[in-house]
Amino acid sequence: MSKWNPKNGRVILHVDMNSFYASVEAAYDPSLKGKPIAIAGNPEERKGIIVTSSYEARKKGVKTTMPLWQAKKLCSNLIVMRPNFERYRKASKEMFNILFRFTPFVEPVSIDEGYMDITECEEYGSPIDIANQIQKIIYQELDLPCSIGIAPNKFLAKMASDMKKPNGITILRKRNVQEKLWPLSIDHMYGVGEKTALKLQEININTIGDLASANRAQLKQLLGINGEKLQDRANGLDKRAVDPESIHRFKSIGSSQTLPYDTVEVQDIDRLLHTLSRNVANRLSRKDAAGQTLQLMIRFHNRKTITRSKKINKHIDKEEEIFVHAKILFEENWDGTAIRLLGVTVQDIITKEQMVTQLDLFSYQEHQEDEKLYEVMTHLKDKYGDNIIRKASFNEKRKFDLKTSFQKDFLDD
Amino acid sequence: MKSIQPVVSKMLVSSINKERISHAYLLHGQRGTGKKYLAILLAKSIFCKHQERAEPCNTCRDCQRIDSGNHPDFHWIEPDGASIKKEQILHLQKEFTYTGMESNRKVYIVSDAEKMTTNASNRLLKFLEEPSMDTTAILLTENSQAILPTIQSRCQLISLRPLNNKQLIEKLEQEGLTEANAKIFAAVTNDLNEALEKSKDEWFANARKIVVQLVEMLQTNPNEVLLFIHTQWMPHFKERPQAQQGLDLLLLWFKDMVYYHIDQKEQMVFSYHYDKIEKAAMHWSKKHATDNLSHIMDAKRKLEQNVHPQLVMEQLTLHFQR
Amino acid sequence: MKIIMNRDRLIESVQHVMKAISQKTTIPILTGIKIEATETQVKLTGSDSDITIEAVIPKEEEGIILIDEIVPGSIVLHAKYFPEIIRKLPNEMVEIESDDKLQLSIRSGHAEFHLNGQDAEEYPHLPLLQSDSSFSLPNDLLKNMIRQTVFAVSTSETRPILTGVNIKVEDDHLHFIATDSHRLAARKIPLEVDQANLSFSQVVIPGKSLNELNKILEDTDEKIEIQVGENQIAFQAEHLYFVTRLLEGKYPETSRLIPDQSKTIIHADTKTLLQSVDRASLLARESQNNVVRLETKGNEVVEITSNSPEIGKVEEEITIKGMEGEDLKISFSSKYMIDALKIMESDQVKIEFTGAMRPFIIKPVDNDQILQLILPVRTY
Repeated sequence: MSKWNPKNGRVILHVDMNSFYASVEAAYDPSLKGKPIAIAGNPEERKGIIVTSSYEARKKGVKTTMPLWQAKKLCSNLIVMRPNFERYRKASKEMFNILFRFTPFVEPVSIDEGYMDITECEEYGSPIDIANQIQKIIYQELDLPCSIGIAPNKFLAKMASDMKKPNGITILRKRNVQEKLWPLSIDHMYGVGEKTALKLQEININTIGDLASANRAQLKQLLGINGEKLQDRANGLDKRAVDPESIHRFKSIGSSQTLPYDTVEVQDIDRLLHTLSRNVANRLSRKDAAGQTLQLMIRFHNRKTITRSKKINKHIDKEEEIFVHAKILFEENWDGTAIRLLGVTVQDIITKEQMVTQLDLFSYQEHQEDEKLYEVMTHLKDKYGDNIIRKASFNEKRKFDLKTSFQKDFLDD
Repeated sequence: MKSIQPVVSKMLVSSINKERISHAYLLHGQRGTGKKYLAILLAKSIFCKHQERAEPCNTCRDCQRIDSGNHPDFHWIEPDGASIKKEQILHLQKEFTYTGMESNRKVYIVSDAEKMTTNASNRLLKFLEEPSMDTTAILLTENSQAILPTIQSRCQLISLRPLNNKQLIEKLEQEGLTEANAKIFAAVTNDLNEALEKSKDEWFANARKIVVQLVEMLQTNPNEVLLFIHTQWMPHFKERPQAQQGLDLLLLWFKDMVYYHIDQKEQMVFSYHYDKIEKAAMHWSKKHATDNLSHIMDAKRKLEQNVHPQLVMEQLTLHFQR
Repeated sequence: MKIIMNRDRLIESVQHVMKAISQKTTIPILTGIKIEATETQVKLTGSDSDITIEAVIPKEEEGIILIDEIVPGSIVLHAKYFPEIIRKLPNEMVEIESDDKLQLSIRSGHAEFHLNGQDAEEYPHLPLLQSDSSFSLPNDLLKNMIRQTVFAVSTSETRPILTGVNIKVEDDHLHFIATDSHRLAARKIPLEVDQANLSFSQVVIPGKSLNELNKILEDTDEKIEIQVGENQIAFQAEHLYFVTRLLEGKYPETSRLIPDQSKTIIHADTKTLLQSVDRASLLARESQNNVVRLETKGNEVVEITSNSPEIGKVEEEITIKGMEGEDLKISFSSKYMIDALKIMESDQVKIEFTGAMRPFIIKPVDNDQILQLILPVRTY
């Protein structure tokens, strides 16, 4: 246990890059430094809108999603650039690599922010020393500014990093919550969107402090479990752990198996493909996810191994769907010689929450059955918050499926 | 065509006359059995407007453009390098989603169809499964076993017989071989192309000489035979298939002797060595010669069973001398 | 064959037919240009087998002699050299002469070229098209009809028939229809009396061919004659003849898939909606799914939003002209919406929805000749 840290507590950092895209551009071309820069979709066209802007531009009133012409009115010397997403991804990767030098417990949240759990990092100094070092290294190596929040949990760290920008370091202790957090207007609270804010204001909750002391039952009625969760956070409570895997976890799910003997028998091969497809489908379903790319690995009797993948025009998650695509790939790539091992992987995975399916003119009528369910779901989501439906089905599945999360994936195959 | 593949051509002629042309044919036969020739003839019969009894005129615009590769509704696919690639089949696939350029009649030929990659085969299968009215596919192969069974089952299978001996001799003579040589090469293979290749092959010419020498030595100088086997025969017929060919040639010699004895001299292969055959027939009686034929067959079998070639030859020559 | 004529007019015609020639063709003769001289005209032909373009130079046009001398004949010349040679000739007049050994001489001033030709008999011959299945349209109307539909053809080969535009005569109207199965674009015009007894019912023209045709058609109100054959369709302008092969097979019946009732109707300003969706798509584009969401907010406002987890969020409320029926939330591809709104030809559009998981229709408020249909995306 560290001398810096509270007993049984954790130390969490939230690292938030300041106006990331504009800063990356300025680092790339130092002549842009100190100038008002904006990244916009279509700089040539008047109707383009601002994606992000530098602090110099923000000072003049330039805001994200503002039409270009309006921004130029506010800031006549605005330098407008097209987004270079490749450049931003590269900078993001390097930024996270710096965070990983301190601890493996880094959870990237998006391209320009992430959490770190530095509870076990006293060898690098006090939490504030570590934050200072991180800020300095990111500045020296990447020429990029960032703000860092230090707190005992993710929510407070996030709120803290927001308090001083750019280049701020803010410590938010639980005992400071009343003084620093409660006076803030409710729509400044992380996790409260525009809609939720409106709903809360309707029952006279206008500050984070109001939320902290509101009637819990009333909140639950208004926002579902999300209401209780938000109230806990308003009181400085947040039990979520920093999860380094969260961003990688859903990228791909695969299963592979060696045959008991080398075979050219279509029946054996089909049976194995079915088994593998079932494994993958079960794991996808446990994660409430689906994927858009199917990869097949074939190892031949002579150990020669090929992997072939194909993009599918919809997200798949069912055993039969996975099998069909795996089988097609297999047929396209099998030269007829004996097979030793097969592997099926579903890639480009997203959770069903993020998932969209383009309906098809010739088959949309088949989906009409789902329509009523869909309407009910939308209704419920509006009433009780986004997670209610998904959570329910997730818990439901757990009851039947005794493999709980600590067993993780390596037990699945 | 009729003269070379009578059965097949009769069948095709009748289907063309009855306008009952299949959507897909699979022509299979060894090299030199006339697959390409037959396929092009079929394509011409389909397009030619001046055909008589299903024989194309060979002079009209359609026939000539099939020969020159300029017919817009006729497509010829053959391996690009070692195999027929997916892109080649994709091109075909596109062609068949379009209407024809001059009419809706379309014909495509896939030569060496067994060389399609798996991917290409599967693509081809897709449009064999949904044939369009006026499209005819003609696949050519030497090895129908190497064609996907699902493709085979969607094609009318046409087996081209190897040429019979007389046709082959005629063909070889047309290709410029002397009658005597044509007879020999038609006797060693029934593949036109292989026969033509052998006729130009120096090794084969020497092989023929060594066999003549052996036959003569067996009569005149039997004590030297084993040495001859060791110093001349073995170095020339090194590989097993070569050794088999040597025995085949020997077999032909002894057959000729039998023909001499039974007075069917027109059947002789080495008729230009008539005097040598006559002399040999004096040395080996009809029974002897016939016995030797079965000894040679035995020797061939032993070679097949991996008995050492030198041992096989030594045993065989001892049999000859009895 | 012998031709003596003005070089510039020849260059112009060569440039037209060159648009159809591709060096990638598998048919050797199609790498050439066919030149065909009769007593009254010279005709050039270029083709990649999918499309064929013919350009005609008459001996005389409106009293002006274009060709000084013609000896009839024909030849095919390699398209790689012939146009370059013609363009670089020194003199304003050019003399082209071929002998019976397919040798061609090109003379101009003191320059003389000799080229090897190929037999014109080897060149594909286009089937003659029936005149009882022909009709005519103004150039610019045809161009519009192409522009308003061809963008919606499928680019995937899984259903080849959908890579074309379906053209049919039905209910006294000429219809152009294209769909990639995610959206559908339809345009119709009433047939004139003299076209009422057209003998064709429907054909499917490859989208690629129509795009090419659109490029060479001039934006004028001159009439173009359209002849429909069994396996080709031809477009005959004054000195230009464009022929394309068709797609084989039956085009799916789409009319029954278009909803005829609606639960929600929105009237909106075309440009306002287009720009708003375009802005929302800015962030949607990067996250590959390209989805934006539309939500009605009372009778005067709709909200357009998009959200991509990695990048950010756009929300915009726009004022609409009016809303009838139930409230609605629907998600769709911004690209399809932008494509559809761009070709509306009207300041105001009417959008008819029948539910969040059913196709919706966009039409100009003032006419029913243009119809755009979009299938929404299903979110989970």
